[in-house]
Parts: sequence; C-alpha cells; structure tokens
Amino acid sequence: MSSATVTGGSSGWLAGVNRLLVTIGKAVGGVVGILYQAGRDSIDTIIRNILPFMAFISVIVGIINKTGLGDHLAHWVSPLASNLPGLIVISVFCAIPVLSPVLGPGAVIAQVIGVLLGVRIGKGDIAPQYSLPALFAIDPQVGCDFIPVGLALGEAEPETVEIGVPAVLISRLITGPIAVIIAYFASFGLYASSN
Amino acid sequence: MPVTSLASLVPLATSDTNVKPPTGFFGAMADAATWFIGLFQAGGVNFMGLVTGIVPLLVVLLTAINALIRLIGPERIDKVGEMAARPGLQWYPVRYLVLPFLSVFFLTNPMCYTMGRFLPEKYKPAFYDSAVSFVHPITGIFPHANAGELFVYLGIAGGITTLGLNTSDLAVRYLLVGLVVILLRGIVTEIITNTMLSRRSAQQQQTQQTEEATA
Repeated sequence: MSSATVTGGSSGWLAGVNRLLVTIGKAVGGVVGILYQAGRDSIDTIIRNILPFMAFISVIVGIINKTGLGDHLAHWVSPLASNLPGLIVISVFCAIPVLSPVLGPGAVIAQVIGVLLGVRIGKGDIAPQYSLPALFAIDPQVGCDFIPVGLALGEAEPETVEIGVPAVLISRLITGPIAVIIAYFASFGLYASSN
Repeated sequence: MPVTSLASLVPLATSDTNVKPPTGFFGAMADAATWFIGLFQAGGVNFMGLVTGIVPLLVVLLTAINALIRLIGPERIDKVGEMAARPGLQWYPVRYLVLPFLSVFFLTNPMCYTMGRFLPEKYKPAFYDSAVSFVHPITGIFPHANAGELFVYLGIAGGITTLGLNTSDLAVRYLLVGLVVILLRGIVTEIITNTMLSRRSAQQQQTQQTEEATA
C-alpha cells in the first residue's frame, strides 16, 4: 500500500497500474481476512460451546445406557412421547409459568431430554414420525428464564419488562400445546413406513 | 451374571488363556472396576461418534456462514427492523416472521434480541417471544445461529440417524413449523401484552380518580 503512494505520480499509466494492484490486493486481503476470522470464530465456538456440551451429553448417555436406567425411564417416557395427548401433556407441563423459567436456563433440560428421546427413537420405542412433535413438546419453555435480559437487550422500558414477563409466560401456556398440534399435523408423511 | 464372562472383557485377560479369572474378593473388585470403566467407555464411544460425525461438518458450515454474515454485514437488516415497527395487519408477518428469522440468522443467539430496539414498547415482549422461539428450530439447518444449544435438535435427530433414515426431512419440517409457531406466538403474546397494558392503564386511572375523590 505504501509503495503506491511513493511511486504514484511518476508517470500516468504506472500510477494507474499501481492503483489497480492496490485495489485488488486490498479486496483479496479483505476477503481472506474475513474468511480467516470466520474460521477462528467457528473453531472458538466449537471449543467453547459445542465440545463441552458433547462431553456432558456423552457422560449422561454412557451412564444411562450402561446402567440400564434408560430402559426404566423408557417404560414411562415412551408411552407419553409416542402419542399426541401424551406430547401435549409434556408441553403443558414444561409451559407452566412457575416451572418454565426453572426449566429454561441454557436449554440444558431440553437438550438432555432431546438426547434421551433420541436414544429411544433409535431403539424403536418411539416411532420416528413423532420426532417432529416431540421437538416442540420438549421446548415450550425456551427462553423463559431470559425474558428480562432479552427485553433489556431490545432497550425496553422497565414497565414493559414488568408486563412482558407474565405476558410471555402466559402465552407459552397457550402456544406450547398448539405448537405440538401443528407439528403433529405437519409430521404426516414424515418417515412413514412403506408397507 | 457369571464372573468369568465379565472378566473376559478385560483385554489383558483374553490374551493369555492359562490365567484364571480372578475370584473371591479381588474378583468382585475387578468386576466392579470393569463395570465402572464400562460406564465411561460407553460414554467415550458416544463422544467419539459425536466428534467425528458432527464436528467436521460444523467447522466447515460455521466458517462459511460466519464469513457470509461478515461479507453481507449484519447492519443491513436494520431497515427491516424499521419496517417491522409499523402498525397494521400487513406488517405482522414482517414483525414476527421476517425480522426474527433475519435477526436470529445474522445476529445469532443472544444478540438477535437487540433488534427489538426498533419496535414500539408494546411490541417488544411479542418480538422477544417470537425470536427466542426460533433459536432451536433454526439449528436443524443453520447451526451457527445457536451453537451452544444444538442438542435439542441433534439429540432427537441422533435417533433418526441410528435408524438409518435421512434427517434432512426432519430439519426442513422443524424449520417450517418453527416459522408458523413464531408467527402465532408473536400474535398471541402481542394480544396478551395489549390486554395487560390496557388493564394497567385503566387501574391507574381508577386509583387517580379515588385519590382525587379523597383529596
């Protein structure tokens, strides 16, 4: 870049070539820099967020599968998770305004239940077409612990937060089960058996 | 469970058939140790599956999408935020469908909620509800948006993979149903917020009137 300012002006076409080279160099450097930074960000995310959670999930799955705890859990989870009323019961339970902020943080509970249900689906206890409604049944509490912070990020007034927290919690009680029903009807034809 | 069958699982014991499996006190201890290590061996196999199966894809996908977001520039969606603040029925899909999608995609969890700053106070709880409800459905196809909470989807999708089925069908439907749900959630929460706001202002008027009457 500095060479352009030094040699520029000595002759007309040389300056033009120089300017072209600088522009190209800058553009390429910019794109490469962005790609490199993007790579750095993604590796950072994987080491900070994804791998620790994989470790945590693996410990739980290993213990549950090996001790046979999973089979005991399956006895009462599978009947609940393999029909529409059962899934609605799960979603209403998770959406109860007192429980939902407790179940929310980091979506840890939803993720652990997701993995447990996944194991049951893999073993054939729960039919695969129930995977879609199950995804919504275990998640009506999403973000319920985060409402004041989320609203503050959106620069909301304290009065809005005061009303917003109960409004969202009550809304979940209505929309949670509805989401399960919508997902249930949207799951028609999903992994339907061919016979 | 017979003692010999468990002891044979220990790799060293199988190499030499002349050695008797441990019995008595030490035999019981060895069985317990085998069982204990087995818990974590199973976990380790599971971890290995996750790391080799999911992490390589995530590295490439996260890098590509992070680069795309940087090239486009997240500040461009500010205009959509201004549009979403308009009143009227035709702006509902912008406010609770387009804006949450774009903000979760470009700003990712948790910065996506900052887009609420363009909206009037009465829409903010509904927008938050709508945006936060989308941070899991989006992870099926765009895991960069909420990399810390992937296992809601990945957990259940893992079962589908175990069955040897393709998870793409589930991912697409999860995203589409998620979009329907966030629109619905935004509208319902907005109605509830407005009801509570009007009830509160009515209460405030009442208390003011009683104060004036007593004064």
